[in-house]
Amino acid sequence: MEFTVNRSDLVRELSLSQGVVEKKTTIPILSNVLIEASGDGLQLTATDLELAIECSCPAEVKTAGAGTLPAKRLLDYARLLPDAPIHFRFTESHWANLTCGRARTKIAGMSRESFPEVPGRPPALAEIPAAVLVKLINRTAFAVSVEESRFALNGAQLLLAPERLTMVATDGHRLALCEETGDFGAAAAHKALIPKKAMMELLKLLHDDDPEAKVEFSADENHLFFGAGRRLLVSRKLTGNFPDYERVLPAEHPNRVALSREEFRAAVERVAQFSDERSHAIRIGFSPGEVKLHASLSDTGSTEETLPAVYDGPEVQVGFNAQYIMDFLRAVGEGEEVLFLFRDSNSAGELRPAEGDGLSYRYIVMPMRI
Amino acid sequence: MEWPRTIFHVDMDAFFVSVEELYNPSLHGKPVVVGGRPDQRGVVAAASYAARKFGVHSAMPLRAAYRLCPQAVFLEGHPRWYREYSRRVYRILTRFAPAVEMASIDEAYLDLTGAGRLYGAPLRAAHDLHQAIKEETGLNCSIGVATSRMVAKVCSGQAKPNGILWVLPGCEARFLAPLDVRKIPGVGQVTAERLRELGVRKVGDLARLDEGLLRERFGKWGLALAGKARGEDAGAWFDGEIGAAEPPKSVSHEHTFDEDVAEAQALEATLVKLTEMVARRLRGHGLYARTLQIKLRYSDFSTITRAKTLPCATHVDAEMVPAVLELFRAHWKRKPVRLLGVYAQSLTPSEGQLSLLEHDKVERWQRALDAVDKLRDRFGESSVTLAAGLRGGFRERAHENPAGLPGKHGSGKDSGES
Repeated sequence: MEFTVNRSDLVRELSLSQGVVEKKTTIPILSNVLIEASGDGLQLTATDLELAIECSCPAEVKTAGAGTLPAKRLLDYARLLPDAPIHFRFTESHWANLTCGRARTKIAGMSRESFPEVPGRPPALAEIPAAVLVKLINRTAFAVSVEESRFALNGAQLLLAPERLTMVATDGHRLALCEETGDFGAAAAHKALIPKKAMMELLKLLHDDDPEAKVEFSADENHLFFGAGRRLLVSRKLTGNFPDYERVLPAEHPNRVALSREEFRAAVERVAQFSDERSHAIRIGFSPGEVKLHASLSDTGSTEETLPAVYDGPEVQVGFNAQYIMDFLRAVGEGEEVLFLFRDSNSAGELRPAEGDGLSYRYIVMPMRI
Repeated sequence: MEWPRTIFHVDMDAFFVSVEELYNPSLHGKPVVVGGRPDQRGVVAAASYAARKFGVHSAMPLRAAYRLCPQAVFLEGHPRWYREYSRRVYRILTRFAPAVEMASIDEAYLDLTGAGRLYGAPLRAAHDLHQAIKEETGLNCSIGVATSRMVAKVCSGQAKPNGILWVLPGCEARFLAPLDVRKIPGVGQVTAERLRELGVRKVGDLARLDEGLLRERFGKWGLALAGKARGEDAGAWFDGEIGAAEPPKSVSHEHTFDEDVAEAQALEATLVKLTEMVARRLRGHGLYARTLQIKLRYSDFSTITRAKTLPCATHVDAEMVPAVLELFRAHWKRKPVRLLGVYAQSLTPSEGQLSLLEHDKVERWQRALDAVDKLRDRFGESSVTLAAGLRGGFRERAHENPAGLPGKHGSGKDSGES
């Protein structure tokens, strides 16, 4: 195999797959990136057996072929090279000879035969605007459980219906649900659990895409495929049953209050400085015309802040994990106001953006007993 | 006459054995050992004075007790009777003093500071209390009276059996000086050994020792030792006020099998039962646990402990059991087990974060358990159990720290064994 590729193209595409390159060397081949040259381009593939990322970039291919090189070493080195074409020539013994400017370099590779096979991509089930997918992920990924023993909660559920697309995540304490209505070309309903890591890697792949870009979604029995232009992410499906979340969505809240998103966020962040390090417990008191935030640490101090608010319901005091509130306020986007809906100190509360950006977004959070 | 700080330590004489005698007077005067059959595993919970003459003492293995005194009557014991009599004694104590703390099922501290106007002389008060307990329960006790808890405890020990001893204020150090250092609560074999290396055998030797040296050798505990040698309440829970100590930092239950068990189902049933008992204690204390730990001791005495943090703090059996079984299944090496233990840690007085997905279920359990606990209060611990725990049903063995002692705090632990 012999080809010439632009340094900046190679560095850009290689860095996209670094997240799935195995850092430990238990299976050495997984530290390598598979490089395949054919026609007028390169295809770069990395996998940790849970996730695989395929990227491609244009190249001048002299002899088609395939080989693998240590992904991190190649990227770290290529970053330091001058912005000029890099010439690659692979030998029979899996070494790569690189030439770039005045640098002559040899890197030891491994045979492509030992590189795991990436599953073949089935026909697309739907076409989702990249911008929509990014929003769905950004507004739900933080609520995915990090507890390994609850594996069905270690990802978000993607629900594809003919007229809408829903992503929902929960860690058992709070639940984030984001939904976009529209026709995404889905012929039938489809349900899948996406691991959190796949969500985060997908965000990177979609990062520098143009706003009009589309993602082709497909699935086989065990895998999910997200194709974005010349890039592809393949993820193993999470197994297990996602909880029946509709059961815990409050049908109605007797009380609601509108708050300035930025004022509320800043106040929660300040008050949380005096909450317990582990529980992050703060108290939110709703009374006519105002919302009071309070936190205290017995041997450190205490704080209270009052926010003016349009509210004429009963006086209610509810304990919440400040971190959970902050997660929502960071993810909700740029709207001026957020709505806080609640019943009492014993029932789930709900946060929503006051004015949507087309997407429906609900965040259900269970209170704390302090 | 106004009293200075006045602490009574009331210690029931051979409590378990004496209660057994109330139900079976023929035991009177005989060597009696409570704890189990002589061929069983486990330890002596109590021995009658007649058995003690043969060298039998509590915490000794039952088999060792049998070798020393084969003619003794060995009894499994009746924890329910002991709890009942402990409650009766407690009721009498609370008539005498506003601040009563049960240190275990058969001993209590009373703070009678400033009660002179009511009782006259301390010795008179102690005598009245001693009489009342004898008349109303038929049990003997010994009472130590002093200006500190520590000296009061040593006093009651010296007064045994069936005696009262009052150390005059100011005479504490002189009273303690001729006693062996091991009479000081908290000084066990190890500390005594290390003190002997310094030439210290009697409390008096200890009192003469330089505090700096003690601190150097024993750290903070050394300073506490120095204080104790002078008759002060120093170190650990002796620092606290009666009835005002800290809530426990952990709650636990252990079970030693009579014969090693290698059958998964039987082990799991025992764990369920132990978890139920721990959960019950947590509810009794009004505490919630964030971390659960199991202890496994194999036949060869190799012991492992493994812990798990729960997503939400709880004291509901149904929430705790799956976590305990998960730990067991992940770590049991399929070898015969001698002892199992369940520990609840990271205790908080409030539930903290509520569960979104399980909230309704937990609430229902909570209401059911409130009812169950009331039944257990009336009809005994084994009146209601989880189905999975039935197979693990073992007789609760007699021990000194059962659940729900009135006014019992302070050791930072609430542990039981069975």
